[in-house]
Amino acid sequence: MTLALVTPQPEVFRAYAIAAAGLLVAAGLAIAWIGRGGRRDVSGVRRTWIGWLIMAPLALGALYLGRVPTIVGVGLLALGGFREFARATGLYRDWTTTIAVYLGVAGLTAVALVDDPETGAPGWYGLYMAMPVYVVAGLLTVPVWRNRAKGQLQPVALAIVGFVYFGWMFGHLAFLANAAEATGYLLFLIFAVELNDVAAFTCGRLFGRTKLRSEISPNKTVEGSLGALLFSLALPWLLRGSFPHFDAVDLVLTGLIVGVGGQLGDLSISFIKRDLGIKDMGALIPGHGGVLDRLDSLIYVAPLFFHLVRWRHGI
Amino acid sequence: MRDQGEGEPDAGRVGSGTGGGNGSDDGSGGAPDLGGAELCESGIGAPGREGRAGAGEWTYAPPADLAQPLAERLKGFPREPEMWMYALRSGAAAAIRAWLGVYHRFRIHGREHLPTAGSFVMVGNHQSHLDAPCLLAALPWRTLHRAFPAAAADYFFQSLPTAAFSSIVINALPFDREAKGEESLAVCRALLETPGNVLILFPEGTRSTTGELGRFRSGIGRLVEGTDVPVVPCRLVGAHRAWPKGAAIPRPAKLDLHIGAPRSFGHLPPGRETVGTICRELQEAVAGLG
Repeated sequence: MTLALVTPQPEVFRAYAIAAAGLLVAAGLAIAWIGRGGRRDVSGVRRTWIGWLIMAPLALGALYLGRVPTIVGVGLLALGGFREFARATGLYRDWTTTIAVYLGVAGLTAVALVDDPETGAPGWYGLYMAMPVYVVAGLLTVPVWRNRAKGQLQPVALAIVGFVYFGWMFGHLAFLANAAEATGYLLFLIFAVELNDVAAFTCGRLFGRTKLRSEISPNKTVEGSLGALLFSLALPWLLRGSFPHFDAVDLVLTGLIVGVGGQLGDLSISFIKRDLGIKDMGALIPGHGGVLDRLDSLIYVAPLFFHLVRWRHGI
Repeated sequence: MRDQGEGEPDAGRVGSGTGGGNGSDDGSGGAPDLGGAELCESGIGAPGREGRAGAGEWTYAPPADLAQPLAERLKGFPREPEMWMYALRSGAAAAIRAWLGVYHRFRIHGREHLPTAGSFVMVGNHQSHLDAPCLLAALPWRTLHRAFPAAAADYFFQSLPTAAFSSIVINALPFDREAKGEESLAVCRALLETPGNVLILFPEGTRSTTGELGRFRSGIGRLVEGTDVPVVPCRLVGAHRAWPKGAAIPRPAKLDLHIGAPRSFGHLPPGRETVGTICRELQEAVAGLG
């Protein structure tokens, strides 16, 4: 197993850490200014800010320490995300199926950590990509083992969605940590996806007229969405230092993946929540809801970006 | 959901409450069915969710505590069947039973009096924090997650560490000692309506400072009057010496738990007098053990 204990791209890391600290301080000052003397109720946004104060150092710390803490951290997030999904859908009452998915996600993390036995490269890519085959095959045997048919399709289907989307697809983020330029890729993705959210919200507030998907997320607007897309298309050029080897095609595709994928990821979790009749997927992060409420866009974007990078430059 | 009390597979079992529900669980444990529907109606427990799973059918059923942070979930009741909580509780129970056996030379007398089917109440004398773990240790493993010692909400569920210990390790039911505990009694009644649950009560309401058995308060009488729920009197001897109120850590004194024959009070006409009679009779039964 290849151990890299400190980020191989300290300059990129430093730039993002300073930007994150600056944004947090600026946001804190803005919140204090808006809520000064009790003029406006800022308790909700303050909670969200406190949530970021907790999350940002954790994320930056893991990324700074290198690939192992990053992969383990993403693995834990994937486990937490699946747990929320299982609770929200009621799947968590089916312990056998849930444990099978947990084991699958833990297995993914292990596969991302070990070296490829053929090439010696960090992360066993072939097995990682084959993991859904084995986990889905395993999940399908649960009803067979139980010798029961009635009511078995739904838990198995939920478990497969849970594993593939929240474990495997999101887990691509962990596998991305095996890239030499992982720090730049990961920090860019996290930043871009969150800023895409902020851009959609801000543009929607300023120019929003037309509802984007009225039955899924009534507060989102077409104008907000287009504004966010434009912003996200520009962002890779602005943060080009994250991946100096990217050419124009890479930068455009990256912008599209973040701009379109980020919003689709957001809407995907939204329709799941709406179907289940819940507001948040959990309550782990103060002011944000659950892990999945925070990671919704990143889950969708991570595998798309991963395969762009792998296709164009290799991991 | 597997009904641990009955020990039968879950096919065809209808999960009506917080603990029951969708899907099934083979061999990896199960959830307590607390009769959540009744709790819902009383407004204490989970809000009702229509269309919960019937026999083999599936409808989405998020837990009632989905939107609550962990700290609140630990203080709430009834609890959702959390896998990690069951695992920790099982591990803690094994450690506590070993501790009691080795350090306190804990012995149980009259275990054969414990009912083997249905729900029942255990009432005991209250001298120390060892009482609830001792009564729990007398129960078979399969009832571990379905045995609920009532614990003072104002003492055991105030701070997060004690609430975590009380809910995870002891599986305690937060009992409101104020306002005659009517709401808490409603929770207890709902609990006893589901077969397989065990409620552990210390009717003195607080730990004895002298080691003498105090007067039984009316709660136990109000809980079981007019019902045939078996009440098992228990007397733990040695706990006052082992861990008196105010002492920081327990001493290695010997502990003996005496379990008496169960009795029920359905034949008595409900009323204030009966409540008094039940309390007196149980107090005498506990005092007469050992």
